[in-house]
Amino acid sequence: MRVTILPDRQVKEVHARTVGDLLKALGLLRDAHLVVRGDDILTSDVRLAEGDELEVWPVISGGS
Amino acid sequence: MRCHRCRGPANVEIRRSQTAYCASCYPEWFRAQVQERINHERMFRRDQRVLVAVSGGKDSLGLWHVLTRLGYQADGLYIRLGIADYSRRSQEKSEAFSAKYGLTLHQVDLERDHGFVVPDLLDTRSGKPCAACGTVKRYHFNKVAADLGYEVVATGHNLDDEAATLFGNVMHWNIDYLGRQGPVLESTHPRLVRKVKPLYRLSERETAAYAIIERIDYIVEECPMASGAKSLAYKGVLNALEEEQPGAKYRFLVGYLKEGRSTIRTGGFDQAADLRECVRCGQPTTGEVCAYCRMAARGRKKATSKDAKYGRRRAVAGTSPGLSADRR
Repeated sequence: MRVTILPDRQVKEVHARTVGDLLKALGLLRDAHLVVRGDDILTSDVRLAEGDELEVWPVISGGS
Repeated sequence: MRCHRCRGPANVEIRRSQTAYCASCYPEWFRAQVQERINHERMFRRDQRVLVAVSGGKDSLGLWHVLTRLGYQADGLYIRLGIADYSRRSQEKSEAFSAKYGLTLHQVDLERDHGFVVPDLLDTRSGKPCAACGTVKRYHFNKVAADLGYEVVATGHNLDDEAATLFGNVMHWNIDYLGRQGPVLESTHPRLVRKVKPLYRLSERETAAYAIIERIDYIVEECPMASGAKSLAYKGVLNALEEEQPGAKYRFLVGYLKEGRSTIRTGGFDQAADLRECVRCGQPTTGEVCAYCRMAARGRKKATSKDAKYGRRRAVAGTSPGLSADRR
């Protein structure tokens, strides 16, 4: 499946069974990211298909 | 996973409470959480005017959206920090939000009104301006609120921000800061406006999910100056722990506020008794000249030397805060 990682819109081809597996494969923490398909945010147990187009949104911000 | 309310397919998982919500039920749940905290902490009432500190990010725009939906009188304040393209885009997001919902957005432009920008305030040791940027923002949020008669300033600090701050203060045993950390900072002077953090029990992931579901157009990328900041390192540590122990951040922060804070002795620092007015700007301070005015003087000096080096001229550089407001 094709995964676009925000904010730089870096595109990766990843094979993963579920959303949780996808984040693991990308080495990303669940609490620091949201996975979106179309207009829908997906929970970690959602099964993915090979043709899926997904976006990964980082949620961490801040300085100081 | 099924929605905790309607049993339909879920979209947002709340691991710390082992629940999940669909995109229809989630915003209601989120707003109810904020309302409960506003009530429980007695943050403000519907007859009070609230100034929301707006950055163009998910937390501040999400908070502004929630307060408006809950029927509060909430206006926004955006501070143009002069961080190149990032500031321009975050300003655009803030202006577009206020225009979309017909809300009042006040603005302060550091460079135009004060003669310096945040990149002029780099710390010599860390090479980062984040701490100084925090001082700039706190100063202007308070000053504008006091000048315009707002009774409270609301910021979008979330659970991750507060847990990271607590972690940093524990790591360095900053006892005074530990004693003062909380969702409400009471006013101790007529010109110090009450500060509240209505999102303090909601995680960064939860505020991002709210913004995405409510189609709030926010700036997704991180501030370019924050890369390598200590708070981001603390958030990384806490999120790694959260991966193994869901709810760790919540228990750390809420446990501290419930059980730990009352045991902290702050060394008898009495802010109210020690405050007087800054001889330059009139804002409350413990010294003769406030931290902001000292820092602004350094910033202007740096800006002037940069201008001389690159042969630039600035239009205005004064000490009186300029302010503009748009009713969209």
